[in-house]
Amino acid sequence: MTQNQPSASSREAVDEGPNPLGLNGIEFIEYATSKPQALGQVLEHMGFRPIARHRSREVLLYRQGDINVIVNAHSSGAVLTEQPVITAIALRVRDAAAAHRRALERGAWAVPARVEVMELNIPAIHGVGTSRIYFVDRYKEFSIYDVDFTPIPTVDQRPRAIAGLHLFGIVQYIGNDRTDDWTEFYGALFGFLSLPDAQRFGIMPKGRILQSPCRGFFFQLIEPEPGVLDIEDDEGLQRIGLGTPDVPVAIEALRGRGVEFVSSRETHPELRGALTRTMMGSVTFELVHNERALAQG
Amino acid sequence: MSQFEGNVDDFGMDTISLAGPLEAKLAAIRAAGFNQVMLAARDLVGHADGWRAAVAAVKASGLRVTGFQVLRDFEGLSGHLHEYKVDIAKSMLEMCHALDCRLLLACSSTSVHASEDPQVLIRDLRKLAMLAIPMGIKVAYEALSWGRTINEFPQAWDIVSQADMPNLGLGFDSFHMFATNTPLADLELLDPEKIFLVQLADFMWNEIKSVEERIATARHFRVFPGEGVHSRDLAALTLKLHQLGYRGDYSFEVFNDDYQQMPLETVAQRARRSAVWLGESVLRRSVPLPNRMRLKQPIRG
Repeated sequence: MTQNQPSASSREAVDEGPNPLGLNGIEFIEYATSKPQALGQVLEHMGFRPIARHRSREVLLYRQGDINVIVNAHSSGAVLTEQPVITAIALRVRDAAAAHRRALERGAWAVPARVEVMELNIPAIHGVGTSRIYFVDRYKEFSIYDVDFTPIPTVDQRPRAIAGLHLFGIVQYIGNDRTDDWTEFYGALFGFLSLPDAQRFGIMPKGRILQSPCRGFFFQLIEPEPGVLDIEDDEGLQRIGLGTPDVPVAIEALRGRGVEFVSSRETHPELRGALTRTMMGSVTFELVHNERALAQG
Repeated sequence: MSQFEGNVDDFGMDTISLAGPLEAKLAAIRAAGFNQVMLAARDLVGHADGWRAAVAAVKASGLRVTGFQVLRDFEGLSGHLHEYKVDIAKSMLEMCHALDCRLLLACSSTSVHASEDPQVLIRDLRKLAMLAIPMGIKVAYEALSWGRTINEFPQAWDIVSQADMPNLGLGFDSFHMFATNTPLADLELLDPEKIFLVQLADFMWNEIKSVEERIATARHFRVFPGEGVHSRDLAALTLKLHQLGYRGDYSFEVFNDDYQQMPLETVAQRARRSAVWLGESVLRRSVPLPNRMRLKQPIRG
């Protein structure tokens, strides 16, 4: 990034406040797979609906409530695997270009854009593993999907969420002794803060939880179990956490749609949360009890 | 080489001590009983079949890569000079990552174009460390004794502490400490967890009178620990680091023009003698149990 004019930050310290990017939730989460129809079926069981197609690539947009999930089967260089992988998170920010610039100034790696005709240039940086983090500022009056996607005819563009499901967070698997590194990454680049160890949600309490500066969602960082040999260093985005004000109702509704849950020996764990069985070898969803829910939607 | 002939696991050679092609260096280091090697970017980019072939050769050697060196003159620059150095840093990080190496060595800037403002140095080192985070690489920042602003390890430590990045720590080179006569007691300042690498070297004269002589000595006349006149100080330094709780790697950072004219096996044997002396006589390391597995530490905090 070449800058002829010295940035203000190099001349005087300006307190950016707790939410320097104006972060305001997640616009979409993207999976990549060579089996987009199979993943589509999984998502539909979870209550998502396909609502739009990309204009030029094999990419589909699924939605329920305010959760957008993109299924990308367009192989651009990278080899797609059958097992779906979470390949991107798009953060809603005040000003995408400014957020991108700020991240690069602090040491993020830019993803070179490859824009085709009629497509938006969405600025992105590299995240964990092979994943990317996009910055999106068009999510109020206009949306990024208006340009890149064509709505699927006759399909409700705003399908209601099952049992008040909303995006709660993302679980990230990390290497040994990497918790502090990733805490610094999300803290310095986006303003995430660590929650105290006593504060946990759902039924999967391991690791460290980082709260977004908009307080709207969380990252959970999970290292390998102690005692695991020091070679298991694969890192990546592992699963999506969905919040619901009523976990048992959500379980009931999803079971009715064919979703299976991992059973637990604890008494009434379903009041706090639940975990779906792994589908397609890699896809699970975690349900987390969360009252905040619809108010922020 | 049997394990009963001395425990040299903590020590490694540096390719800069040896002449010849990379494969020959790796083979000589391995044959002398070392398990680790410190690599320079030149080892990769200067390989006749390209840097990816060099990476393959390193992996085939079975040697663990102690660290990758050296990023120079990174911090304190502005405008296009800064952008240029960021590109150099990224390129080095990519090579380091390809080697499965977890440590990049960066030494303090000697550039007259670099700022002396500690806040600028801190900002740039934070950025360098951030660039390294997604790749799982740690950055060891070392005070060159002829660095412009940072030229003794307590200053480097101060910058590292203020930058406060989990993957930014200190690279410690005994040569520079002896050259500047920095007191051994200053080591007490350091958090052993944040010493990411210790490089050891001896040299042949007692005193270095000028900065020019210091640079010439550092680049041409170093010898392995125990071969020069600072053996006693090196032993004291190594023991002190051990007492502080340092349990990381020791690499022999020996630039020597004569070693460049000797058979690789001969130089590697000199390095081995040095490692055996430090491991057995100074640190009195016990021989490890067969099939010892390294288990991960419990998560702190």
